[in-house]
Parts: sequence; structure tokens; C-alpha cells
Amino acid sequence: MDITRRDMIKLSAAAFAAAALNIPFPGAVRSSDEGIEVDNWVKGTCRFCGTGCGVFVGVRKGQAVGIRGNPKADTNFGFLCVKGFKGYMSMYHPDRLLYPLVKGQDGTFKRVSWDQALDVVANKFKDLRQKHGKDSVAYYGSGQCMTEESYTFNKLWKGGLRSNMVEGNPRLCMASAVGGYVTTFGTDEPAGGYADIEKAKTYFIVGSNMSECHPIIFRRVARRKLADPDNINVIVCEPRMTTTARIADIWLPADPGTDLMVFHCMAREIIKNGWTDKWFIDNLCRFTTGAQDVDFNAYAQFIEQFTPEVVQKQTRCPAANIREAARLFATQGPTMSLWTMGLNQRTRGVWANNLVHNLHLITGNICRDGADSFSLTGQPNACGGVRETGTLCHLLPGTRPVANPAVRAQVEKAWNLPAGTIDPKPGFHTMEMFAKLGGEAEVSKPLKGMFITTTNPAQSLPNCHKYHKGMKDAFLVVADIFPTRTTQLADVILPAAFIYEKGGVYGCSERRSQITEKCVEPPGEAKADLWIAAQLAKRMGLEQLIPWNGNDAPAMYQKAWDDYRECVKLTEHTLYGITYDRLKKMDEGLQWPCPNEKHPGTLRRYVRGKDPIMDMPEIVKVPPQAHIYFYGDQKHEGRANVFLRPYKGPEEPPDPKDYPFFLTTGRVIEQWHSGTMTMRVPEIARSQPNAYVEINPQDAKQYGIKNGDLVKVVSRRGFNILPARVVKISLPGILFVPWFDQNWDRMINRVTIDAFDEGSKQPEFKICAARIERVGDPKDVADMTVISDVNAPFPDKV
Amino acid sequence: MVITGSAIYVQPGSGSTVLERLKEFPEVTFHVMSESGAEMVVNLEAEDHRALEVLCARLKEQIEEIVDITHVYVNFEDEIAKIRADKD
Repeated sequence: MDITRRDMIKLSAAAFAAAALNIPFPGAVRSSDEGIEVDNWVKGTCRFCGTGCGVFVGVRKGQAVGIRGNPKADTNFGFLCVKGFKGYMSMYHPDRLLYPLVKGQDGTFKRVSWDQALDVVANKFKDLRQKHGKDSVAYYGSGQCMTEESYTFNKLWKGGLRSNMVEGNPRLCMASAVGGYVTTFGTDEPAGGYADIEKAKTYFIVGSNMSECHPIIFRRVARRKLADPDNINVIVCEPRMTTTARIADIWLPADPGTDLMVFHCMAREIIKNGWTDKWFIDNLCRFTTGAQDVDFNAYAQFIEQFTPEVVQKQTRCPAANIREAARLFATQGPTMSLWTMGLNQRTRGVWANNLVHNLHLITGNICRDGADSFSLTGQPNACGGVRETGTLCHLLPGTRPVANPAVRAQVEKAWNLPAGTIDPKPGFHTMEMFAKLGGEAEVSKPLKGMFITTTNPAQSLPNCHKYHKGMKDAFLVVADIFPTRTTQLADVILPAAFIYEKGGVYGCSERRSQITEKCVEPPGEAKADLWIAAQLAKRMGLEQLIPWNGNDAPAMYQKAWDDYRECVKLTEHTLYGITYDRLKKMDEGLQWPCPNEKHPGTLRRYVRGKDPIMDMPEIVKVPPQAHIYFYGDQKHEGRANVFLRPYKGPEEPPDPKDYPFFLTTGRVIEQWHSGTMTMRVPEIARSQPNAYVEINPQDAKQYGIKNGDLVKVVSRRGFNILPARVVKISLPGILFVPWFDQNWDRMINRVTIDAFDEGSKQPEFKICAARIERVGDPKDVADMTVISDVNAPFPDKV
Repeated sequence: MVITGSAIYVQPGSGSTVLERLKEFPEVTFHVMSESGAEMVVNLEAEDHRALEVLCARLKEQIEEIVDITHVYVNFEDEIAKIRADKD
């Protein structure tokens, strides 16, 4: 029988799908790679959320021509979402930045050589540091940089420039989760992993529209529910009836920022009904206000105020739903909680995280199969690249505090630096950094220069307009692949390579490191961020500290990775055994702790026999009889903290007179962050071409708004003009706007509030007060705005 | 032309019904069903991504037993060639 090429492609494609579904495939192809014309399939990781989906990139004649899920990847089993399939196509978009650009006297960008651009940057940074001190130049990175890149910039700044002015956009998305883990368990990141999804019986999904933001993880949950609908329970706590909430048995629709009461109320129900795990409480929990330790009875007494009826009144969440959620959580386990920005992007983000952990601790729903309190990361390398490498102002590699003298001494030794080199004082956190960024003449702005890579703060900061002038006035260097709102404010633009043009390691939500191998060459003169960092170091006289400055990208990334492995070898987060050689050979990557090259990685932390740290006294001492032991406990008792956090609402609740609505923001499935990549994939752009405001029909009727009408959304900081989507998804009184749109009139972060959590310093993107007014009839605003011209003027005076 | 390797999730017990209904869609090629009858492996063929989205929406709308459709592989080499041609 003759088989055409088309038939072969079809059979191969079906074989991939069957492999992902674990269904025996009777097709004619011997190998699923047959029939698809590529020179080779290169292993990598998707870069469009924190799931860490394994992919293979098909390369033919030096070009990426296809992508498929890796069926052997433990994260996604071969499945990919719309962004995973299509997002990478943006790398061939004609807007790619191809050459270094420096702003001339006339205010327009001029093409220069790499040598010229790097000299301009290095000389200006040196000059600023000489005039204004070592802390006058900051680095602002991203949870999308490769681990080796973040580590290198961190080492350059903290070890080389002796400055802790180092931050990254994970401060905007994950800092409260870090704060929650560290305050409750003493150390960052979850105890379990994605494998718990297939073992859990009850899911508590909080502040997360997983179906759109983490669709592959949602698929794993939905598949469980579909397979056994009567015995698998899904509880969703969030103010919108999202596509995630539609599979829920119990929906807990609390008003934005009020869910702390719901969590306390669930704990109260659990205790009242005797659904606690006494052994776990007696042996592994400590009850505390934060300032003072108390006993279980004091905790029970404290949460007594949160009766279901009181909480219903305060939150609009039905009392009966809370009671049933508590029952399912405590009695139908193992229970796994999953959350993202709805819990983190709050002024009480750390507290909200603490209270979810509380539920797991008092019911013993942690440290066993299927039971975990699990934060999903928003970005592909927020965990691996920023949290773990310590690329934030208060941390050093291994997620350890810079203020700790022993930690500084260990890192100085690892970096071959004289004792006392690293500054003990943390630098500015993100919001403070941008608030204090400005021109040389401004006395109140101590930061005079900034290097930004792989992120777009001019659009992604809350209340962003407030910070545009500082960015404009300071000496701003931006490395990226496309023009953005931020490059519009830059002095120097450096063309960066896309992930598949350089390779490197990403670490996803479940402590798993996976390697992406370089697939193709970057276009024009674009360069890997690691090369840029190393060249900058060289020009600043720090070549010995950052010696991986050659042109062979894979070899340089490996050197940086090995340096990092060595630096964190004797920490609880050790990934010393995760070598490049192992990562290249493995389909699924490895989860830390992984202390040596024979170690298989760790699914479950804090459990003897499963977590190698339990038997590594050189890192932490664990009593020999302990089976479960929270070794991060600062009091060295192996206990986790159950917090008595008082209720405190959002910073800016609705004001019935002037700003009567809650405004909340988020993602949609098609678009990624500020849309700089996804908006350049035509199919994605067409399917979600512009931001909009979701309004409940009841509110729409009151304001005379019909579907598609143009609506002005106004807060105390600014306004947007958006088409209305009149839908029942949100409760009355709640507005939702996605934040991907670059169009000035629809950049919702001109409206959001920049108040932040006192502990984590993470801003409250999710909640502010707003009002609406109808300003016009329906109008086509599907303009799919992108900033294509680096010289396009910034839309407002700054 | 876009060709996918996709999984169609169907309501428990509805596999044979869905299979029969899929015959009305020439753009769908069925390959194999899971033992549970809840998942089937198919190819979907469409002119471009937009047409693929429309096809998926039609399938879900017209066959109510379909719970979800997800693609595991998408062959779109022609589209990359088109993007590059436009650029040149």
C-alpha cells in the first residue's frame, strides 16, 4: 500500500497523541518520528507558564518547524496548551530586535555594534557608581530568564558590584507564596509535587483559574474528576465562576480579599466536628500569633469568631458551602490545595498562604501521597531561576537570607571572594526600587541606572504610570526580543535570544529542573542573556568572577550551572546531583533535593526515607527517630507554624459612593503576560485581540451598559476605556479585566493599586476599588496592538 | 495546512455514539480508543489554525458527548514557511 507524506504525518501525529494518553497504538509507523520531515527533534521546556511542560522542537535546515509535547515528561505527559503549541512561532516575527540600539542626542535609537553598546552600558554604570555610590545601579530580572542567567546576574551584582540592588518580576507574582512557605515551614517551595494530583481525592483550588492559566495541570485534575466523579471532589474558592470553577462540587465565591475569613471558618468547622489529625497537631504543629506561641485551645478559641453565618455576611460566600468544603477537605482526603495569584497578589498574601497551610497542618494533609499545600508558579522559571538562585534583594543562592552572616560567608567562599565582600543589607524590593529610580539630578531618587531583562515593567507594574518618569529619567538598559512599553523608555536596547536559540535550565513549580538544548541560531545579532551578562562583567573588570564569557552558548551555560550547583551544594535546596549530563539524558528532569549524581531526586520533602536532607547532618540535624520533620523550623523543633492571623481586608475596598466596584485582573488562556510574544502569533492575536471588562448583567443593567459598549473603568489612579462583556461569570459588584493588552487605553495596570504586602512586598494587583461609566456604543477595538517601532513615542508625557 | 494528533475526551459510555457522529466530519480521522472508552485518538485537518479552532468548536457544539478536545501534536511547517516568506 502506498502511504503518502500526508498519511505519514497523520499517523505520526496520532502516535504522539496515543503515547501521551498511554493508549497502545496499532498504527503502521514504527517510530512516531517517521513521516515528519525534520532534521532532528530537540528536547526542551515550554516557556509560557510555570508548569514546565516538556517539549520537542522540530528543526529543519536550521529553523524550528514544529513542536510536540514530550510524552515521557512527568509534568505534561505530552500534552500542550494553545500557548505551548503556538507561542514559539513568535520567534520568527519580523518585529524581532536584531541589533543593539543606543538612543542618540535626538532621542531616536541608532544601530551600534555590540562592542559599542556594551561599552556605553559598562562605562555609564561605572560612572554612576563612582558618582552616586555602589547601590546606584540595579538589576531587574525575570522568572522567564534561564537559571544560569539569573544566577550570573546575581553573582555579578552581589559578588562583583557588592550591591544587593537585585530584583525580578517574581516579586510581583510569587513573593507571598515564598513568604507563606518560609513563615509556616521555615523553608521555601512545596513538600510534594504534581504526582500528588493523581493521588489526591479532594482538590482545594484557591485564587487560580487553572483552566486558563495552567491548562495542563487543570487537565490532570479534570481527568481525575471525569474518571471518578462521585469520589473525586473539587472545591474552588474564587469570586468568579471561571471555567475552573465549573468542574467544582463546591464553589466558594468570596469577595476579593475576604477569603482569609473563609479559611478560618473552614478550620473552625474542622475543629468543631472533630475532623483534625491529633497526632499531627501534637507532634508537628506549633500554634503562634507570630509574636507569641500559644496552644491548640487558644487557636480554637481565636477562630471561634469566624462562624459560617458571620463569614457569609462579610464575604458573600454561602455558609452551607463553607461547611461542606470543610467536610470534604478534612474527611475526603488526601487533599491537595493549588493556588496562584489570587492568593499571592494581595496586601495579605502571606497571611492567606499561611491560612491555607493551616488547613493542611491541622488535618495532617501533608507529607503523604496526594496531600499537599501546593503553590503553582506563574512563570516558567520563577522557582528555579529566581527563588532558588536567590536573585532578589534579600536573598543569596539556595533561597537563603543575605542578612545571615553564615550564609554570606559560605557564598563568599564558594565565589572565591574575600570575607566581608557581600553587603549584609538587603537592597530595595521591586516597588521601592522603581519608586526610587530617577535622573541623576533628583536627590530623592538614589537609583540612577537599571539593567532590565526579559520583562516589561512599564506595563506590568501596578499603577505603572507612576513609575514611567523614573524609568525615563534614569539610565535604562533593556535586553529583550521585541520592542515593548519598557524599551520605549530605555537608553540602550540589547537584542536577546529566545529560549530555543540558546538553551539552559528551567525549574518549575514542583522543584523540578529540566534542560532545554539549543535548537537554532538567534536572528540578526541577537545574543543570549548569559553572554550579555558575562561581557558586561568583563568590561567592569569582573572577568574572574564570571569567566563564562565565550561564544559557545551551551558550554557557557553549563559552566554557569556547575558554578551554581557548587554554590548550593550544602543547602536544603541542593541540586548538586543535577548535572547537565543527567538532564540531557533524562526526559523528565530531576526534583531537588538531589545531593549527588546517583540520587533519583525527591518527590516528597520532610519524610525520612524519601527526603535525603533528613539524613544529611552536614546540612541540618534531624533526630534519628523522626519520620516527618520540618527541618526548616527556626526553633529546631521540626514543627510547622499554624498561624492565628487576624482578619484584615484589602487595602482599597469599594467605596459605595465613588468607587463601588471591586476590580480584579488576570490572564486569559491565549495570552501570556504583557502580550509581547503571544500577540505576535496571528491566530492567538485574532482569538483574543484586546482586553475587555467583564460586568455582571445586574450591574450592566443598572448602568445602562450592553455587551460591546465602551466603558470607562476608573480608579483613584487612572482609567481605561474597554469594551464590555456582560456575563454572569463574576458576582455583581466585581469587574474583571485581563492585563495582556499593550494599548494605552486598555493597559489595566494604569488603574491597579501599588499597595503591597508588608511581609512579601508583593503588590495587590487583584483588588482595588473602581467605578464604571458607559462612554460609547460598541466599536471595533480588535487592533491587536503591539509596539513594533522602537522609536514610537511613549503615549503619554512622562 | 494544519494536521494534528489530538485527544477527544468523551462522557463515560458514549464512545460508540461519538464515533458514529464523527463520521459526519471528513476533517476528522479516528485511530484508536482507550480501554475505558473515555478518550480517543484522532487527526484533525484544517486550512490554518483559525479553521482548526472553528472545527474544534463545531465538534464540541454538535456532539454534546464530547467533553474536551486537546492537541498533542500540531504540524504547521507550512505556516512557519509563510511567516518567513512574509518577512523576506
